[in-house]
Amino acid sequence: MPLLFDPVNYAIPGFVALIVVEMLIARTRDRQRYCPRDTLTSLLLGFGSTVSSALTAGLVFAISMWVYQFRFFTIGFAWYWFPVAFVLDDLAYYFAHRTGHRVRWFWASHVIHHSSQHYNLSTALRQTWTGFVSLSFLFRLPLFLIGFHPLMIFFCAGLNLIYQFWIHTETIGRMPRWFEAVMNTPSHHRVHHATNPRYLDRNYAGVFIVWDRLLGTFEAERDDERPRYGIVKDLGSFNLFWAAFHEWVGIAKDVWAAPDLKSRILYMIAPPGWSHDGSRDTSETIKARWEAREQRGIAWKQPTSSSSVEDRAGAPSQAA
Amino acid sequence: MSKLAIFGGSIVAVLVLALLARLLGLGGARIGSAEEARAAAEAMISGFEGGAVALGSDGRAALVHGGAADAALLKVHGARIAARHLRAPFVTAPASGGLAIDSGDARFGTVVLKGVTAL
Ligand SMILES: [Zn+2]
Ligand SMILES: [Zn+2]
Repeated sequence: MPLLFDPVNYAIPGFVALIVVEMLIARTRDRQRYCPRDTLTSLLLGFGSTVSSALTAGLVFAISMWVYQFRFFTIGFAWYWFPVAFVLDDLAYYFAHRTGHRVRWFWASHVIHHSSQHYNLSTALRQTWTGFVSLSFLFRLPLFLIGFHPLMIFFCAGLNLIYQFWIHTETIGRMPRWFEAVMNTPSHHRVHHATNPRYLDRNYAGVFIVWDRLLGTFEAERDDERPRYGIVKDLGSFNLFWAAFHEWVGIAKDVWAAPDLKSRILYMIAPPGWSHDGSRDTSETIKARWEAREQRGIAWKQPTSSSSVEDRAGAPSQAA
Repeated sequence: MSKLAIFGGSIVAVLVLALLARLLGLGGARIGSAEEARAAAEAMISGFEGGAVALGSDGRAALVHGGAADAALLKVHGARIAARHLRAPFVTAPASGGLAIDSGDARFGTVVLKGVTAL
């Protein structure tokens, strides 16, 4: 495989060192930020992911080169094209990632990254085993058609992945304002990993949070609403293979049992949680139910207090 | 770097880090009270309104009754709480020192409420 340079391999020692530092901080601040079994699961899933992508990298590269021959321009390897490639690759990542949450076929692959109920640097390494099957590389093909060489794009994709490592932490509260405005940060990505209805399906950014701000998917982390991490139906299991394949099994079962062809297809491509009889929750139904409850909470509260925003957020649990 | 060296080094690093988490005494969780169980159930299950709580005496599990012949089954999972939404009738069996409740999900498993004899 003619890969020039995979920056991720060189970052591994840095990943390990930073995880050790974060564990030491967790010991003094909050021991529940890490759980040994969860850490083992995350890291083994990360290891399995590198094996699976090594097995398919050759094929992905061949497909990319095949597409590249139909390019409109020949951009080449001049240094100033690297930042351009990096920004456009990050935009492609945004769409791939957004689709990864909104189309069940892609979610089946991406869910592995969200399946931990923890949010620490080891969570960053919990990566998919089935990225190739889910065809997520399709989102990068337009860049090759424009004329960016696949080697340049894969190099940028590697840097993108490395950037995303450090934001998987509760150790950092907020970065400086200008940084939070432009870049993806621990705070923004905590929102992405949270299952709180307010935070569901938000902040898809890889490196630049501006894509979410521009495309209406941004949600700021609030000090009065702590993120709860994981997935809507947490696995409750540390089984590696179940974490890697459970949603694929779910798709297979649903497609098998579906009453007609239309629902068979929708069980594959509709948003996660879609069902032909409406018996399950999607993120929309969860958000709608929560909003209705919030409204009720406000109505309950109003006669007794001139409530501030902070009060309101606490209302539903007090009223219940 | 050869692929094999990277894979070998990675697997060693994985095991060392997991061991370190254990040696540092990280993790640990329990369900401390009925209120905590109710709050967790309502936070984790969309639209759920918690009522009476059967809390295991060891703080490892709880069953929170809902308002519609349903319940939230909670168990401590690592350093977190995991939940399943159950509909009545609940499948229970006597277990050593308590009551076993079937979550209906093989991977989630059966959950034992210590010191509880009936729901
Ligand atoms: Zn995601
Ligand atoms: Zn993430």
